[in-house]
Amino acid sequence: MSRWQYFLRRVLMSIPVVIFGTTITFALIRLGPLDPVSAILGTQYNPQAAEQIRTNLGLNQPLWSQYFDFMYRLFTFQLGQSWVIAPGTTAYELIQVYAPRTIWLGFWSVLIALFVGIPLGFYAGLNPNTLSDYVASFGGIVWRAMPNFWLAIMLVTALSQTGQWTNGFFTWQTWIVKTNVVTPPALGFFQDPIQGFLADPGGWFNSFLKATKQIAPAALVLGSASMGNEMRIGRTAVLETINSNYVETARAKGVSGRSLVWKHIFRNALIPLVPIITGEAFLLLGGSVFVETVFAINGLGWLFFNAAINGDLPLIGTLMYIFILILVGTNILQDFLYTVIDPRVGYEG
Amino acid sequence: MSTEQPTETRQKGEPILSVENVRTSFYTDKEVIRAVDGVSFDIYRGETVGIVGESGSGKSVTARSIMRLVDNPGRIENGRIMYDGENLLDKKPKQMRAIRGGSIAMVFQDPLTSLNPVYTVGNQIKESLRLHRGMSGKEATKEAIELLEAVGIPDAHRRIREYPHQFSGGMRQRAVIAMALACDPELLICDEPTTALDVTIQAQILELLEDIQEERDLAIMFITHDMGVIAEIADRVNVMYAGEIVESAPAVELFESPKHPYTQGLLNSIPGQGLEEGGRLSTIEGDVPTPNEEPTYCRFAPRCPKAFAECDTVHPVPVEVGDDSTQHQASCLLYPKNLSKEEALDVHRERGAKGGDQR
Ligand SMILES: Nc1ncnc2c1ncn2[C@@H]1O[C@H](COP(=O)(O)OP(=O)(O)OP(=O)(O)O)[C@@H](O)[C@H]1O
Ligand code: SF4
Ligand SMILES: [Mg+2]
Repeated sequence: MSRWQYFLRRVLMSIPVVIFGTTITFALIRLGPLDPVSAILGTQYNPQAAEQIRTNLGLNQPLWSQYFDFMYRLFTFQLGQSWVIAPGTTAYELIQVYAPRTIWLGFWSVLIALFVGIPLGFYAGLNPNTLSDYVASFGGIVWRAMPNFWLAIMLVTALSQTGQWTNGFFTWQTWIVKTNVVTPPALGFFQDPIQGFLADPGGWFNSFLKATKQIAPAALVLGSASMGNEMRIGRTAVLETINSNYVETARAKGVSGRSLVWKHIFRNALIPLVPIITGEAFLLLGGSVFVETVFAINGLGWLFFNAAINGDLPLIGTLMYIFILILVGTNILQDFLYTVIDPRVGYEG
Repeated sequence: MSTEQPTETRQKGEPILSVENVRTSFYTDKEVIRAVDGVSFDIYRGETVGIVGESGSGKSVTARSIMRLVDNPGRIENGRIMYDGENLLDKKPKQMRAIRGGSIAMVFQDPLTSLNPVYTVGNQIKESLRLHRGMSGKEATKEAIELLEAVGIPDAHRRIREYPHQFSGGMRQRAVIAMALACDPELLICDEPTTALDVTIQAQILELLEDIQEERDLAIMFITHDMGVIAEIADRVNVMYAGEIVESAPAVELFESPKHPYTQGLLNSIPGQGLEEGGRLSTIEGDVPTPNEEPTYCRFAPRCPKAFAECDTVHPVPVEVGDDSTQHQASCLLYPKNLSKEEALDVHRERGAKGGDQR
């Protein structure tokens, strides 16, 4: 079986995973302890209205027919609407508003982790047991051990105080572009990026900078756990690769130091990093709920959290489905990276 | 089993490689390990020199020292390695890279892991061709295919696009040998190239090496701890023990009349004294000591059945022990045989004092 056939099979295999996950979601919503009708009505409960809503929601139908209905709608992306936190608004609209912030946050936290964690780890691995290795490794451990919430709160506090501390010399809020410390990033400029950029490059760039700065502290917090991980694994991977026989063989045939590192060491060292990198998506989904709350980034995590505590079941179902799609998508991305980097993928024997 | 090689295979003229009193030490946290301690030997064109010894006796470090591939915390501290009239230990890194793979190639023990798993076999052979012969593109591909064919890999033009995991162990070792031969080296160092292979494949690889050697007049330094393999392939044998060469002789002579008690032990430890393939050198009582100080005694003494009092106080130096040839040396206080014990001891004391680091 060729690598790409293997990859295709992995993609196909994700379909049952999505079906399974969605089914579980359905079960949790319909069979769980929350009654959507009472959640919607809240304190104004009366039997007549309840009956009305039941009929509207199709809750009087047999369960299997509700199930197929639920599945059919999600798979055809009829995502329904919110009933409690924003009654009457379609889930699609809500996601359009909230998702970009989360994606923006996720994008930067992955990027920070990637571009700080991996280079540091590789550097430490290439120079083992030197002072810089110790500094990097020690820093990585401390960084990783710092709890997210603590780091988040410290960062918010510290950044808010920079003005006082430095006597106005450096104030985070006014540094480069004016922003608040805790705020949802303004992502309006992404509505129509190409047009927007062409029309007013300076203004567009300014908004970009602003949105980046707004998200930076949260992204740093969210990315820090993965950053430490990537550093540690990157270091080990490089060390292992350096001591491998094929690197020795390459040296013995006269390959120069630079080519040795870039061609023979790095690509192999990336292989164990793939699941770490994609695993970040999982961390992100979990971490975003909390980090979005502290930094007041009203993103998907925040939306999900509110939907959950308010019992907005239709919205929960939809968001769960979206999360499942993200996770499965990440897994596919992981398989894709493996397939590209490692020719042994899909090889039996 | 072919012990019928001519005793006198050494050609006249300069040796292609001359290792002179080399010492390589590892500075570990605990101690300084003299992994190679004052080793000297020569290799001539077209000749196969075997290096035998138990695990840990310093064979691989010797090979690495020649290639200048000794890593931290290791250091080559003493001696000269003369190749082509020049001391390899004086070479700059860039000059050394041109020699590695270009003039001296090396094949490592484990064919399964000697090829980079993420590049095709062809890519890795072509890398050598590009580095040392400036070939690229179609020309390199053609040459790489020819090399694979030369080492007996069928269907080479297809194989060249395959990855190492698609090759069997024996084929991988052939590919590694093809890679080593890519730049027409004058000397091929093989560090236990067949240990990981089964007996039939092993025999094929040895045959391949012999053919290639004949074709190209290649000098081979062959490391193994398998006496059977040595009997098969070597013209001359150096026996290593705890960082030192304790006996050096033409292969036939070594097998017929081993002089050093260690060599005798090695040969006796092979069942039925037959030099069976796969005969390992593990049946002498005890282990190879880790050489961690300057030798003022015989390092084999704790395990030597013939040891006597002076073995603990006098360091044996290589002396001629041959019955008729002048190319058989052993480092043992029992020799030279034609002298009395006291006179022999004096020879070792005197030459040991002169020896040391100033060669
Ligand atoms: N990188 C290193 N650091 C510390 N000590 C080392 C290192 N490499 C080798 N040594 C030591 O050098 C000695 C000789 O090792 P070497 O690898 O040359 O043995 P060998 O004869 O090749 O054995 P084998 O048959 O097992 O391959 C051993 O005592 C070993 O512990
Ligand atoms: S010098 Fe002594 S201990 Fe060493 S091999 Fe000879 S007899 Fe044995
Ligand atoms: Mg070895």
